[in-house]
Amino acid sequence: MPSLRQNNMKKKILPYLLLTPMILIMGVLVFYPVIATFSYSLKKWKLTAPNDIRVVGLRNYAAILKSDSFWYSFRNTLFILAVVVVLTTVLGFLVSVFLNIDVKWSGILLAVAILPWALPPYVNGILWKFVFSSGYGFMNKLCIGLGLVSRPVEWLSSRWSLLVVVSLVVTWRSIPFMALVCLAGRQSIPEGLYEAARIDGGNRRTIFRRITLPLMLPFLGIGITSTSVTAINVFDEIIALSGYSDLGKNLLVESYLTTFSFLDFGKGSAVTYLVMLFAGILGVFYLRNLNREVEY
Amino acid sequence: MKAGKKIGYVLALAVFLILTLGPFIWTFVLSVTPEYAMMEKNTKLLPDEMTYANYKELLTAGSQKGSVLITGIKNALKAVGATLLIGIPVSMMSAYALSRMEFKGRKIIRNLLLITMVIPVMATIIPLFRLFVDRQWLDDVFWLSMVYVSSYLPMVTWLMSNYFATIPKELEESAMIDGCGRMASFLRIILPASYPIILSAALIMFLNTWSQFQIPLILASSLETKPVAIVVSEFMTKDSVQYGLTAAAGIIAVIPPAVTALVFRRFLISGMMGGAVKG
Amino acid sequence: MKRKVISMLLIASMAAALAVGCGGKEESGDAAGGTAGDTAGEENQGNEEQGGGSITFMAPDWAIPTDDQLKAFTDETGIEVVVNEVGWDDIRDKLVTAAAGGQAVADVVEVDWSWVGEFYAADWLEPLEVSDEVKEDMPTLETFTKEGNVLAIPYANDYRLSYYNTKQYEDAGISSEPQTWDEVYQNCKTLKEKGVCDYPFALPLNAEEKTSTYLMWLAYTMNGVVFNDDGTLNKDSVLAALKYEENLIKDELVDPADKTSSGMDAYKRILSGSANFLTGPTSFVSKSTNEEDCSVIGEITPILVPGKDAKATVTMALPEALGVTKFSENKDEAKKFIEWYTSADMQEKLNETNTAIPTRNSVLKKLIDDGKIQNAGAMMEEAELIASPFPGGIPAYYSEMSNSIYNAINKMALGEMTADEAYAEMEAKVAELAAE
Repeated sequence: MPSLRQNNMKKKILPYLLLTPMILIMGVLVFYPVIATFSYSLKKWKLTAPNDIRVVGLRNYAAILKSDSFWYSFRNTLFILAVVVVLTTVLGFLVSVFLNIDVKWSGILLAVAILPWALPPYVNGILWKFVFSSGYGFMNKLCIGLGLVSRPVEWLSSRWSLLVVVSLVVTWRSIPFMALVCLAGRQSIPEGLYEAARIDGGNRRTIFRRITLPLMLPFLGIGITSTSVTAINVFDEIIALSGYSDLGKNLLVESYLTTFSFLDFGKGSAVTYLVMLFAGILGVFYLRNLNREVEY
Repeated sequence: MKAGKKIGYVLALAVFLILTLGPFIWTFVLSVTPEYAMMEKNTKLLPDEMTYANYKELLTAGSQKGSVLITGIKNALKAVGATLLIGIPVSMMSAYALSRMEFKGRKIIRNLLLITMVIPVMATIIPLFRLFVDRQWLDDVFWLSMVYVSSYLPMVTWLMSNYFATIPKELEESAMIDGCGRMASFLRIILPASYPIILSAALIMFLNTWSQFQIPLILASSLETKPVAIVVSEFMTKDSVQYGLTAAAGIIAVIPPAVTALVFRRFLISGMMGGAVKG
Repeated sequence: MKRKVISMLLIASMAAALAVGCGGKEESGDAAGGTAGDTAGEENQGNEEQGGGSITFMAPDWAIPTDDQLKAFTDETGIEVVVNEVGWDDIRDKLVTAAAGGQAVADVVEVDWSWVGEFYAADWLEPLEVSDEVKEDMPTLETFTKEGNVLAIPYANDYRLSYYNTKQYEDAGISSEPQTWDEVYQNCKTLKEKGVCDYPFALPLNAEEKTSTYLMWLAYTMNGVVFNDDGTLNKDSVLAALKYEENLIKDELVDPADKTSSGMDAYKRILSGSANFLTGPTSFVSKSTNEEDCSVIGEITPILVPGKDAKATVTMALPEALGVTKFSENKDEAKKFIEWYTSADMQEKLNETNTAIPTRNSVLKKLIDDGKIQNAGAMMEEAELIASPFPGGIPAYYSEMSNSIYNAINKMALGEMTADEAYAEMEAKVAELAAE
């Protein structure tokens, strides 16, 4: 009897034991700092005024929400988010389908496909700046060479074309992860299910709708969530492509400028929190819609 | 039909290769273009003169820039190693508990973990820095890797728990009936069935660690710890924008992950293409 | 078969990892973090035992002395110097993050001229003592002085100097170097009309720091003033400079690419002959004679910066300096290091090893006389005209001000605003900041 009880206890404790390392890491390195940052956001804390640090409640948030600059950056963030998520999902899925075709060199293709991912974002931005630079970058050399335009196009000189370029560059870097996740998702579907469906007389379309898509949803969910977070947090590429210009700045550039350039830690933390809140709302939405547990 | 399919495949292949490799090829072209020729106004895609001076400067033993670059690559590899050693076991344990065990608070823990995916670096970096200073963790690859792990855990745990969920419960149950304990059945049933996802997770962690920039910049930017991503960006500073050198360094910096992907493609492919469990 | 082997391997490694559990993690940590942790530990111990016999020095690569030079310093003073090389763009972020946590990121740190106001307001820098003799010899010290406190000592000089391509002038039949900004403008037009040079004027217009400083020194050299005594913009001067830039853009004397490429790229156009005239960094003196950088060697001459009716009587400096952080626990040693680093003897050596341009005019003169700096042109003469356009020193809100200035200029360049509108925008922002 005691051994059974002990066993029961062990059974109850085991999951928590397994989770302990994760909870410790997340608690110390994520939750604690996030809460600390929140307390900063409630303060007037400008580094150039070290003797005037005090709690001001939500006044930082109010000031930010009233500024045009914030909403301008917010619209830029939304634009980048929409373009990147749509393009990355569609193209990432296509690439995964392409990579799933079994050919002799598919291993090499996989290695090629994930290369953009290995590129640090800042280097990525510089790389593409050369492609799209307003003078004689690759794109302009190509377009002029082919006779499409007679003089160099200023790709990065207007708000929307700059944002389109930024979105494309981020998409390019995000596709590999999406493709890999889709591929992993595709592979996690037991072959038996397909066989059974075929025996039941399902055609390709119904198999895709009934089996592939629903079973891949959790994977798509994590791919889309992670891509969204990437898209909201684009920073290095914007700096590399357009500097700290008002033109293409997003919320993160705004937050960086406020915190590190203007040295306003209170306001900067508040901007960061608003970014996080925005991403969090998206996150909850994804969680609810895409995190249905798979049961067999 | 068959011919059409083949043409379609070849077309897709061409588009895929051009779009993926194009920017790298262009970067390589820039890395062998003399600095002054870069600003020239013409539509020539290739420079008249090729120079390998940038590569020479970076690869000559003992040159200052070269040794910094090599140290950067070593540092990045160290961080990758530490991250994998911590990250894989921790995420597997969490994923196993979250996907195959019933206990109080499971849903809350799971959702709390997942929601941290949306937290940007900037929301944590200042308190983290203070913590690192207090504990003297600055410029320490182990603690740097811990921070990386904390940012990968939600995603990797989710991927793994999704994968574990696809392994039929009966398998494990039958093992337990055979007298295996929970741990033993985990090692005997779950692990062998899940190496595809472990390899994927390892690769995800490798690549994300490789391109880390802001975190190491603040927490570990000493010469002994800063990763190659920072080194490359440092070739472009305020008053000396050495595009050619940066391009060359960028190319060199992509080699390790590229080689890893190539070498492990067999494992990856056999893992990934092998499908899940033959249940 | 192969798959079986692989899975066996994986199981084995995973089982090992699980079995060892936490022990394995710590081991890996020690192995990976060992070197860094150990050296850090040693440093700290060193500090305590020797009562501050060691300092840390954070600076960009061009400021790092050679090992021999550092050894000489250690031999002379017994102070060990631990070098922390950080990219220039990242130094400020690191300083800010550290200071926000009340920490010294290093004992001796790089201080750019534009940071002085902020750092002084934030109280991060230890005031330094400088003799009158040094003050006399180092005109850029003024830039690093706030309310009588010297906060950092400049080690690398960079003041605005003009350059033009003489061969293109000959080709266009222009006989003499430009004396005034109007002349520069007319000559650029001639060069363009005669087809000698399409975009003769190199002007940074991208949204970045260089764009703001360009406007400042353009106004400064044109009219001798940029700011009023209360810190607001001097309308007559700044608006005139802004209109000058607007006309250059309208007449397409500036490359459209300058609007979005980095300021450095805009400057560099002169090195490939794609631009004719540049007012820019002193470093272009050596760049214009370097084969790797320049394809028109021998054609570029450094001249005095033009002014309104004749050559300008002032020029602006953008030097870099070294300062001691307030949080440092080794202030005396740190000060000793800076004194050594900025001594006349070291400036001469650093010019040889790091191509640093001396901040001491006496050293600069010696180097030019000795022929160590080539193609110097008007370099020495101009150095004697260095002055600061900021009436009360660099303001505490400099970066916010600069941000609004370069964004307004960039919008003007992209055709979204006229010069008047751009001026109104920056004036309002600067007035708001100055009033705070």
